Amino acid sequence: MESKAIRLRQVRKAYRHYTLDGISLDLTRGRTLGLVGQNGAGKSTLLRILLGLVRADAGETEVLGWRMPEEKPRIKARVGFVSEDMALYGSATLEWHMDFIRTLYPNWDRMRATALLERFSLRPEQKIRGMSRGQQVKALLLLTLARSPDLLILDEPTAGLDPIVRQDVLNELRTLKEAGRSLIFSSHRGEDVEDLADEVAFIHGGQLVAHAETAQFVRGGRRLEQTFLEIVSAQSKGRVA
Amino acid sequence: MNAEVVYRLVKKDCSLMRGPLCVYTLVASVAAFLPALGPGWKGMGVTLALNVLIGLSFHVTLGTVLGEREKKTLPFVMSLPLRPQEVALAKLVSSYAMFFLPAAAAAVSLVFLSPVDIFTAMAHDGRSIGAHVLGWCAYFALVLGAWTVFFSTVLASAIVTESLGWTVAVITTLLFVFGNGLLQLAPRLALFVRYIRDLQRGGPSLPLTLGVELLAIALVIAATLWLQSRKTSFV
Repeated sequence: MESKAIRLRQVRKAYRHYTLDGISLDLTRGRTLGLVGQNGAGKSTLLRILLGLVRADAGETEVLGWRMPEEKPRIKARVGFVSEDMALYGSATLEWHMDFIRTLYPNWDRMRATALLERFSLRPEQKIRGMSRGQQVKALLLLTLARSPDLLILDEPTAGLDPIVRQDVLNELRTLKEAGRSLIFSSHRGEDVEDLADEVAFIHGGQLVAHAETAQFVRGGRRLEQTFLEIVSAQSKGRVA
Repeated sequence: MNAEVVYRLVKKDCSLMRGPLCVYTLVASVAAFLPALGPGWKGMGVTLALNVLIGLSFHVTLGTVLGEREKKTLPFVMSLPLRPQEVALAKLVSSYAMFFLPAAAAAVSLVFLSPVDIFTAMAHDGRSIGAHVLGWCAYFALVLGAWTVFFSTVLASAIVTESLGWTVAVITTLLFVFGNGLLQLAPRLALFVRYIRDLQRGGPSLPLTLGVELLAIALVIAATLWLQSRKTSFV
């Protein structure tokens, strides 16, 4: 089995107003990577490249040992994705979604789905449009986790959630991490990243400015945000100089 | 191409739209029976059937195709283990599947309510029942085919551009610029008048027009799938 969850080499994606450039990044299986950066830094684009939702202009992308985009359906069958700007069908129930997903994923675990329904306090007969934002995120997580993905990619999973739901979501991710699943997630909340991630990558202006073990960035009681701001500031000064 | 996956997506779309589709089919069917209420109701039936076609085209395109982006369900669909071409094909198949039942009912009503009384003409004609049925089917296919060309073009623009603005621009151009232009100018052209007379007689213009309609639909579908395969961003 390929030991790397992801392997990126000189990945580039250019848009009209910004470019994600020269991204080289590895993540070993079973580890958790937190992506930190400002809005528009390129975190979401990077996550979308990993899932094949956006095709890179250049570079190599491998996920779970398979090349993207050549092996896209195979990769997506083993990768779970939840994003803050992702929604389920409002007019349908959670049960309808569970039935739909079950037909597409042979590894759907009915018992795990039932357990998650209970843990998240969700009712399968409830329509999505009747759910709060927190319940919708939990429903998305349920649909993703019940098919036992090898790698979970989360784009701002706790954005806009109240503190209680946020803790529920973080607890679930902690359980996954302890179970040895690979996780990649982006977040604006430094404390979430410090809490969950084994390693952190700072993205700034479309570039990977730092990547190391989380412990290195929070050494001596420093906070992750502080380290990020210092690195970004040092980089900006370097550019000016 | 995974046919099973395409089938699942088509079933998903049809399942989500089943309520409005039932209403469109019912209204289109009711249109055919309105003349039974009196002579003045025939025009109402034609208007109703045409409105079903227009409303249906908008609803299917804006709801099923562009609605995925607007309601943020597109990232959910695109994160499933599918190829973009499978998603595009599924959108085309589901949109046509949703379009055809109510549109067929509306087309039957339009042929039935047509100012050219096909049934009376048939009664005075000495041809066999089979020939009459075939002729009736040809006119039905002509109406349905013409609207399907319009629908296919709008659908293609929605799938390819994923933009409400561009789709509305295409609808406006087809309906108001091209359609109105044709209605205003064409009757003044001798060639067009001859063509319409030949259509009414069931002359060679009828199969030729049906062939052109089929070719146009096939070309639009092929162009949609080709353009979709060249995309680099899917959300």
